[in-house]
Amino acid sequence: MTDFDITSGEADGMGPRGAKVGLLRVLGPAHVWALGVGIVLVGEYMGWNFAVGKGGAYAALIACWFAGLLYSCVAMIDSEVTSTVAAAGGQYTQAKHIVGPLMAFNVGLYLVFAYTMLEAANAITVGFLIDTVAVMSGHDGLDQRPFIVLAIMFLAWLNYRGVLATLTFSLVITAIAFSAIIILFLATSPIFGGDVLRHKELITDLPYGWLGILAAMHFGLWYYLGIEGTTQAAEEVRSPARALPFGTLAGIMTLLIAATLTWYVCVGLMPWEYLGQAGVPLFDAARLSGSTFLMILLGIGTLFATLASANGCINDASRAWFAMGRDHYLPSWFGAVHPVYRTPYRSIIFLVPIALIFALGAPLDQVITFSILSGLLEYTFMPINVILFRKKWPLDTIKRGYEHPFHPLPAIVLLCLCGIAFFAVFLGYGTQLVAMIVFYVIVSLWFHFWRYRFVRRAEQFTMPWPRPQGY
Amino acid sequence: MARYTPPSQSRLGQIVDVVVLLAMTIGSLYIPLWLKLAGSDQTANIPENPTWESLGQNPVMVEKWTQLGYADPASAAELITSRFDYSFSVGSLLAMIVVIVGYYTIMLRFSEKEYREVITEKFNGD
Amino acid sequence: MDIWNIMEYAAWALAAIFGLIIVADWLRTDSTYSEDVLMSSREGELEAMTEEHKI
Repeated sequence: MTDFDITSGEADGMGPRGAKVGLLRVLGPAHVWALGVGIVLVGEYMGWNFAVGKGGAYAALIACWFAGLLYSCVAMIDSEVTSTVAAAGGQYTQAKHIVGPLMAFNVGLYLVFAYTMLEAANAITVGFLIDTVAVMSGHDGLDQRPFIVLAIMFLAWLNYRGVLATLTFSLVITAIAFSAIIILFLATSPIFGGDVLRHKELITDLPYGWLGILAAMHFGLWYYLGIEGTTQAAEEVRSPARALPFGTLAGIMTLLIAATLTWYVCVGLMPWEYLGQAGVPLFDAARLSGSTFLMILLGIGTLFATLASANGCINDASRAWFAMGRDHYLPSWFGAVHPVYRTPYRSIIFLVPIALIFALGAPLDQVITFSILSGLLEYTFMPINVILFRKKWPLDTIKRGYEHPFHPLPAIVLLCLCGIAFFAVFLGYGTQLVAMIVFYVIVSLWFHFWRYRFVRRAEQFTMPWPRPQGY
Repeated sequence: MARYTPPSQSRLGQIVDVVVLLAMTIGSLYIPLWLKLAGSDQTANIPENPTWESLGQNPVMVEKWTQLGYADPASAAELITSRFDYSFSVGSLLAMIVVIVGYYTIMLRFSEKEYREVITEKFNGD
Repeated sequence: MDIWNIMEYAAWALAAIFGLIIVADWLRTDSTYSEDVLMSSREGELEAMTEEHKI
């Protein structure tokens, strides 16, 4: 280690290879937590309940815990690799160093896809929520489009202006949205609220049997989808080796609690047939609790959760796109950093119209499915990634900020759960699954035979690691 | 070993590449939608003149439906009785497995080839 | 024309303003700074300076 001060304002982001502007290193562990939880918490406010529709109330709970296990593995594996590969692009950069360029290109696209689709889904939900409020106040036929567009434009502007303000904003609204879930749980629980929950009368047997539990895994992922996005902040965190594992693992614990509480309250207040197709289930739960205060609180919580999520998605998708541009995997034009705000501004701008196309043009469940599928392909890559990582660089060859326990058990568990999730998606959305993979096959061929010629070979391997074993 | 020097790409070439990538992306999302292959179907099996009893709802459930704005059984009947169809053929399951495994296999093979080149240039050079 | 109609127009207007601010700053930045400066970010700068992976 040299005496170089990584928090220095002057030399920050600039270095020996001639960089004049770089991303700004200003974030702490709380921002990492906010980025991870902020993206995902919206899953508690909308989307997870489709799992109830797929298999009934108990199926959704089992799916919630299995998906929780899946994501705990994801978080552990991710923490280890990313505490070592600390660069924007997250899993993309990991794949580039550990598996190979084509895999990296695919992973980069998974990331951009998953986050941009999720951003679109959030914007759609903002429009839906405002429409619900308008209907409740007696106004029918609200045009949702201006609110969808405004949400995306405002958050893009915030992201454009700098990462610290963006993630501080996320931190505040995520904390409020999380508190709202806790307050709803406390207020309806027998400890304080008396007698509103009716689990005994409302919960039925599994309507689809065991197959329904497998099918529910599809939307069970939605409880946690996006927690792995914490790694995208790696190049902007002051102390990546410590802050990233800490923020990520704290994030997954927060989500496990929030997911279980959400399930408990919602199934105690609504018939599963309604819950299984509700647009904003926690808001409905608050309405049914009979308290105006709770209703307003959860309405605000829903709005904040969607905004925090879309905000984090813009942040993550643009970092991944930027990292690919910087390596010439994509046109190098995208690899620019704003000299004043120190953000990947061209990537942020470019992804705005894309998000708008999906938010205004596609139905919500399609958008969610595409996001989930991209995420799923990414989780399937992770066990391959970590097994190769440990093989090419065993524990004693490079310094790791965090070492995940019981290797290779988490990798194997993760791979099995991904298989189950693939089957679940196949049950409902087999056509999209195949369409998506056909897309990735075509894109891979395009990359391998055309695009890769613009990439410098040795320069893309930037980590100061020794030669991998076996090469 | 000689270093590989990539050609520099013109601005027009960069734009073409982005457009190609975008076209493929939007195509993969919208083609299943246009072909009406997307989504899983739900079928509702609504009894004639549905009552809360014939829909299998107990008094607590009825109370919740009413609170949610479904005052009479007929309005809630479609929601209550619709079910997904989870039947599938073994053939299409096998096809899916082949597609997924095939995709990862092809990708890992190409990646490995490119990766060896990177490592050789990185660690054998200067 | 009730409050919700007004809010629709306000939302369109605000969205347009944010869009214009971004585009204006983008064009100004691209014309003020040279591509060399804008594109000079490199992955792994920090690692190259502060970390030597030797145990």
